[in-house]
Amino acid sequence: MSTHEVPAARRPRRPLFQKYFIVLFAAVVVPLLVNGASEAWFGYRDQKVMLSQRLRAEAGSAAGKIEGFLDDITDQLQWTVQLPWRDGSDERHRFDVLRLMRQLPAVVEVTLIDGNGAERLHVSRTAPDEVNSGIDRTNDPAIDGARSHRIWYGPVTLYSGSEPHMTVAVAGARTTYGVTVAVINLKLIWDVISAIHVGQSGDAFVLDNAGRLVAHPDISLVLRGEDDPGAARLKELQQATIAGNGESIEGHDAERRAVIAAIAPIPGPDWSAFVEEPASEALTPLRAALWRTTLLLLAGAAFAAALGYLLARRMTGPIRLLGQGAAAIGAGHFDHKIDIATGDELEGLAQRFNEMAGELALSQERSERIARLKRFLAPQVAELVEASDQEALLDSHRAEIVAVFCDLRGFTSFSHSARPEEMMGLVQEYYEALGEIITRYEATLTCFMGDGLMLLLNAPVPCPEPAKRGVRMAIEMQAAIQSVMSDWRARGHAIGFGMGLAKGPAIVGRIGYEGRSDYTAIGSVVNLASRICGAAEDGQILMDAAVAAEIGDEVPLVPLGTRLLRGLTDAVSVFSVAPPDPSCAKPSPVKVLANRRDARQT
Amino acid sequence: MIVSRRAVVAAALALLPVRAFPQAAKVSRIGLVTIGAPESTVLSPAMAKEFAKLGYVEGQNVEFERRAAQGKSDRLPGFIDDLVAKHVDVIVTASYPAAAAAKERAGTTPVVVTFSGDPVATGLAASLAHPGGTITGVSEIAAELSAKRLAVLKEAVPSVRAVAVLWNADDFGMTLRYQAAEVEAKRAGMLIVPLGVHAPDDFDTAFSEMTKKPPDAILMVTDVLTTLNRKRVIDFAAEHRLPAIYEYANLVHDGGLLSYGPDALSIFERAAGLADRILKGAKPADLPLELPSRFELAINLKTAKALGLTIPDSIVVRADDVIE
Repeated sequence: MSTHEVPAARRPRRPLFQKYFIVLFAAVVVPLLVNGASEAWFGYRDQKVMLSQRLRAEAGSAAGKIEGFLDDITDQLQWTVQLPWRDGSDERHRFDVLRLMRQLPAVVEVTLIDGNGAERLHVSRTAPDEVNSGIDRTNDPAIDGARSHRIWYGPVTLYSGSEPHMTVAVAGARTTYGVTVAVINLKLIWDVISAIHVGQSGDAFVLDNAGRLVAHPDISLVLRGEDDPGAARLKELQQATIAGNGESIEGHDAERRAVIAAIAPIPGPDWSAFVEEPASEALTPLRAALWRTTLLLLAGAAFAAALGYLLARRMTGPIRLLGQGAAAIGAGHFDHKIDIATGDELEGLAQRFNEMAGELALSQERSERIARLKRFLAPQVAELVEASDQEALLDSHRAEIVAVFCDLRGFTSFSHSARPEEMMGLVQEYYEALGEIITRYEATLTCFMGDGLMLLLNAPVPCPEPAKRGVRMAIEMQAAIQSVMSDWRARGHAIGFGMGLAKGPAIVGRIGYEGRSDYTAIGSVVNLASRICGAAEDGQILMDAAVAAEIGDEVPLVPLGTRLLRGLTDAVSVFSVAPPDPSCAKPSPVKVLANRRDARQT
Repeated sequence: MIVSRRAVVAAALALLPVRAFPQAAKVSRIGLVTIGAPESTVLSPAMAKEFAKLGYVEGQNVEFERRAAQGKSDRLPGFIDDLVAKHVDVIVTASYPAAAAAKERAGTTPVVVTFSGDPVATGLAASLAHPGGTITGVSEIAAELSAKRLAVLKEAVPSVRAVAVLWNADDFGMTLRYQAAEVEAKRAGMLIVPLGVHAPDDFDTAFSEMTKKPPDAILMVTDVLTTLNRKRVIDFAAEHRLPAIYEYANLVHDGGLLSYGPDALSIFERAAGLADRILKGAKPADLPLELPSRFELAINLKTAKALGLTIPDSIVVRADDVIE
């Protein structure tokens, strides 16, 4: 049974579990990923837009504060141009200026110019006041600018190459009210700019239209003047912001921090207010949202993996059971029961497997039985017996049978001289020639005896006219062997073939033991047939009277009279089938027969 | 499962930056050096207060090494050597001699200078915007303010014509201030009585001179020598009913009539700010020198009353500090 052993379960190249798991996992994770990614993307865009809006609002507010700082100064300067100039000294104007300077520490000096463009008063924080110096300022661009725009902002200049200052001029409603020109120390915007905070660590700064740094919380950066690399970076940021159509942009600030910056114009002096927030900080809510999405995705993936694992196991478990069951059944364990209670098609399949195992068991039993029957019955008879469930036929009983014996003449001497393979080849040829005929006539083969055979007719399966059938079969057998033997004789082997038939009652049935059983007949008819066969010469088919009686004139018979056969007390009348064409009878068989007779007589 | 563990780690990482680890407070060491008296200028409690505003609390995260030369400039190099040996992180000086000593001896130790005139003119630094070396600080609009003071004095007491100018004649910076006053006096039609002093004893000479030939007012150029003897000057002015103008408001608080000059507190504030930047790693070469941007006019109306003076509104209106 070792060939039927269950083959060691080969691991499949692409196991079903893996496929199911991947498919189920993907079925959950892919939509989750797509959804998560799109949400993250849109969320990211929304947050970016919100960030941009927030920063722009902060920039607008910063610009407003800077404007407020400047408006505060220009508003106060307006007070100095509310009155027309009188000749001589004018204390009211001076008081206005002194009060203004007391209130606005950023104003470094103030110059009042009358309607004629003459300097009337100059007040400085560091130098003595000058009254009515009369210096002509008509060509001063500040005066022209103020007269045409009411308020004029000069360029940013660096005092001592370091501190940024700006000149502001304000004109009165009427020319006679004159113009006030003030120099503002822009360093003092620091108070305003350093108070602006964007987010946690973002800040604001101001550049003029030439990109020069006007105000920054790091006052040193402002004071370092024009060619400072930090200030240059801020200028780059300004250019990038302008190029970015006013949207917030990403860049680097003076300290090379990655920042997000937004711009807002300060219209009066044509400056730009910037707010910047470190990118890391500005993007914190964005990153938090991404983290949230990632965590959700991971949780979803874990859930999908668990789900996929469970489902795949539920699917492949029964399939594996089926596989094991099939292997067990294949190995001949037909009693193996596949136990699946999933309530689905797989359970049905398992049931079919179990049923199949049962059927296989039955089928195997049957084929074993047939094989047993075929040992002595012709295959078609065996199947017939098996199919009709007529094994009772095989039970011992008394029956009128025809026993047929045949054997070779001269085989013993041949077997002494022949080589084994030559002898076995001959025997093989001999049985092959006979087997086909025996099967065709559905004769029951009881046993082989070296070169001889014993056949039964009308047992176990009854057949009509068994004697006639037996004789016809014998004639065919004799003819077949004769044609085979002509070949043998040509090779120099003196071998002949004789047959004997007898009819009579006998007890037939199976004999033997467990696993080894034969069918046979016991009775004098068997003996008789054997003796008659012994008496037959090569080419002769001899029979007893009972057979001959049944034949009638179906086959021409030659009565040979009564003979005393060896082992029998009474003489028996023996008939022979007439040779088909006596003229064709060859001398050699006679000779052989004579030899045999000689041998028996000695 | 692996996933959940990852999630926990991720969450922990996400929270991490939020919780700042408390750092062992580093103690900064700051050297404060003046040529003047203890408790004056950078050694004053006002300076410590400015540092405190920036988070430097004495005894907690900052140690001050205070050195006052009490007018003896030959002690300054020793102070600087001592501070360098003590490995201070930054030296803050007041007065030109202290700054000069620091420039000469502090080596790589950063220095923040105050009350030392114009550091660019005196060669302490290359320029305001780019000091270049190890020195930064607060510059002064040095000399020209003397003219402004004279103008303020004249406006406060229009009858003033002859003004005695007391200054440390040994100090070139102070002499420049005297000269600026002289130029202005000529322009305004006033007369200057120069009273240069070299040592504390010289004040007696100056006083006797003023007693002999009383001026209409006094202008005291403020340096360590004059500051150390301020009490005598103020007392003398009161005694002889002389209006006087000084440079810093603290002298008006001590009984002086008027002062006009840069706001000392804002100088302290900027000096502390620069020292803070240096302590946080900035190089002095990259920290521009700053000019005083706030000026203060102080009047002591009690003194005015004692002198029988009525201070005109044009002065009162611009006064930042009025003592009544």
